[in-house]
Amino acid sequence: MSYSVTEPSARQKWIAGILVALYAVITILPLVWIIATGFKTPSDSIAYPPKVVFQPTLEGYVNLFTTRTRQTPEYMAEHPPQTWAERIVAKYDMTIVGPSRFGARFLNSVIIGFGSTFLSVFLGTLAAYAFSRFKVPLKDDLMFFILSTRMMPPIAVAIPIFLMYRTLGLSDTHLGMILLYTAVNLSLSVWLLKGFIDEIPVEYEEAALIDGYTRFQAFRKVVLPQAATGIASTAIFCLIFAWNEYAFAVLLTSGEAQTAPPFIPTIIGVGGQDWPAVAAGATLFLLPVMVFTILLRKHLLRGITFGAVRK
Amino acid sequence: MMTFLTGLRTFRRGPWEMLASILIALGVVMMMQPWVLAFYTWSFLVTLVGTILFMVVGKFPS
Amino acid sequence: MTNPALGRLAKATPPGLAHRLRGLSDRTIAWIFVAPTIFLLLAINIFPLIWTIRLSFTNFRVNRPNEAVKWVGLQNYSRILNDADIWATMTNTAHFLFWTLFFQILIGFALAWLINRKFKGNDLWTTIIVLPMMLSPAVVGNFWTFLYQPQIGLFNYAVAFVTGADPASFSMIADVRLAPWALIIVDTWMWTPFVMLICLAGLRSIPESIYEAAECDRASPWRQFWTLTIPMVLPFLMLAVLFRGIENFKMFDLVVQLTGGGPGDTTLLTSINLKREAFEKWRTGYASAYAVILFVTIYGLASIYVKALNRVKQR
Repeated sequence: MSYSVTEPSARQKWIAGILVALYAVITILPLVWIIATGFKTPSDSIAYPPKVVFQPTLEGYVNLFTTRTRQTPEYMAEHPPQTWAERIVAKYDMTIVGPSRFGARFLNSVIIGFGSTFLSVFLGTLAAYAFSRFKVPLKDDLMFFILSTRMMPPIAVAIPIFLMYRTLGLSDTHLGMILLYTAVNLSLSVWLLKGFIDEIPVEYEEAALIDGYTRFQAFRKVVLPQAATGIASTAIFCLIFAWNEYAFAVLLTSGEAQTAPPFIPTIIGVGGQDWPAVAAGATLFLLPVMVFTILLRKHLLRGITFGAVRK
Repeated sequence: MMTFLTGLRTFRRGPWEMLASILIALGVVMMMQPWVLAFYTWSFLVTLVGTILFMVVGKFPS
Repeated sequence: MTNPALGRLAKATPPGLAHRLRGLSDRTIAWIFVAPTIFLLLAINIFPLIWTIRLSFTNFRVNRPNEAVKWVGLQNYSRILNDADIWATMTNTAHFLFWTLFFQILIGFALAWLINRKFKGNDLWTTIIVLPMMLSPAVVGNFWTFLYQPQIGLFNYAVAFVTGADPASFSMIADVRLAPWALIIVDTWMWTPFVMLICLAGLRSIPESIYEAAECDRASPWRQFWTLTIPMVLPFLMLAVLFRGIENFKMFDLVVQLTGGGPGDTTLLTSINLKREAFEKWRTGYASAYAVILFVTIYGLASIYVKALNRVKQR
């Protein structure tokens, strides 16, 4: 390797590496703690000093997914627990009486997340292609308009949307939330995808047009495959946003279409919050995003700057 | 400074956008400063003028 | 229209082109492609916005639908802009904004600078550091209240471990003096990686040749840092500051879960106050005027943001 003035010395690299690693360990600690707490018993979770070594249990997960009721010791003696989950709750003289609402809320998150992601990426790809390739009148103004919708504070638009949805019968429905998240995500998907499509050489399409493709065929058979990675990472960004969204969800949904973020903090145990159950819910909810983040790491910068910074 | 003033007089986009940005920033600072209530009262007007100005001067030649 | 002429024209053009002519014109396609997006944004963003502006001049209340709606002119605006309590939520927001930006830029830039030393495994560490930024602020914020518990909370335990104080002696979210800092700590923890990533991009965009030239001029590393590195990264920093500024100005989910505005009104940020006016006190007209004020401010900042964005793009 040739000598370069900007190449740091080995010692500098070591110091930098140790400092960054130290920060990384500290920053990841709360996340590790969430995952660990999910496998603790309620009493272990509030022990002092905080327990690092503990007997792992699935109690938090059982509590998360079930509703339970306390029984008399006589009843417990007559009805011995059948499954492993029942055995766990039997320690507290409890029996499982049914599923909790967590499963339904999680499913709502999945439906609304994927529904809105599909719609916003679909519409976003079309719009981004048009903005990238054609002379659209007032292009810059439209692009800014699209971006500005992202900046709006959710609470400010929530008032009329609340009224509008109540009139249209869309409040607390999956469709209402999907449309809303699609609208919020469109700005991101149009801006990101325009950047990705801009990078595809126009010559490919021109060649296809000369070969007798129509504009539409050229778009479908030439541009879409070329933009596939871009579309995929845009989709993940949209999904993460819809997955994490809280303000609209807490204001516009209460039951039927409520997603997981407003629900998880409301998980209450006997006498205060049931932290292992909350942590179990949080773990299940956060893990997919962590995995996606690792998959996305090459495009992360683009996603957070609306495609402006490409590295 | 001179070019800035000439730019304003000849309706160039750059200096006018700068002026609008300064107004917006001033409005935001006025809104959030903890010292004088009167500044807070008039902050919205300043921000509004800056924002509208920014939209208008976007149409000026650069 | 004479058909024979068209027929001759069709025969004269190569089959590919003829096929293309039968397809839609580019202009039509452009409109078909853009229209759904614009339509949806008009329906779900612009229409509600206009409605908010209209409501902001009335005394409408959602919970009293039968009451006659009165046109009150600018009264809502003048009441909000003369209200010392709302001004206090603005200064709370300013405190939060200032310190989160301060710490995030300081730590974010330092981290980016260190990672740019190109040590082995920096990709792995970067990925780990970035994780908090992508997670749901509401869910994570809720869990932080657990970490902040006196005695049993991990945060209190860690502080006690380092400083030797009693972990049960302080409560980050129940103490009037500490609560604003509880928010700042969590926000800094979540969003430092964002600033770091942007700074890293800025650092990596600086061509090496500049440093080589500086080295020839015998400029000290300290001087190089202030006269080369900082000015080159500045547009990127601007971008990060504006974006985080806008986001934290409308901060809602994290704070609702962490402190909910309390204790007292010490962490009542402006978005949370707006939510109380609109969805708890149901003063819809008044809250609409409040929303318009916030919106105009954010729109103004967003205009500057897009300008900064374009400047970075040209690099």
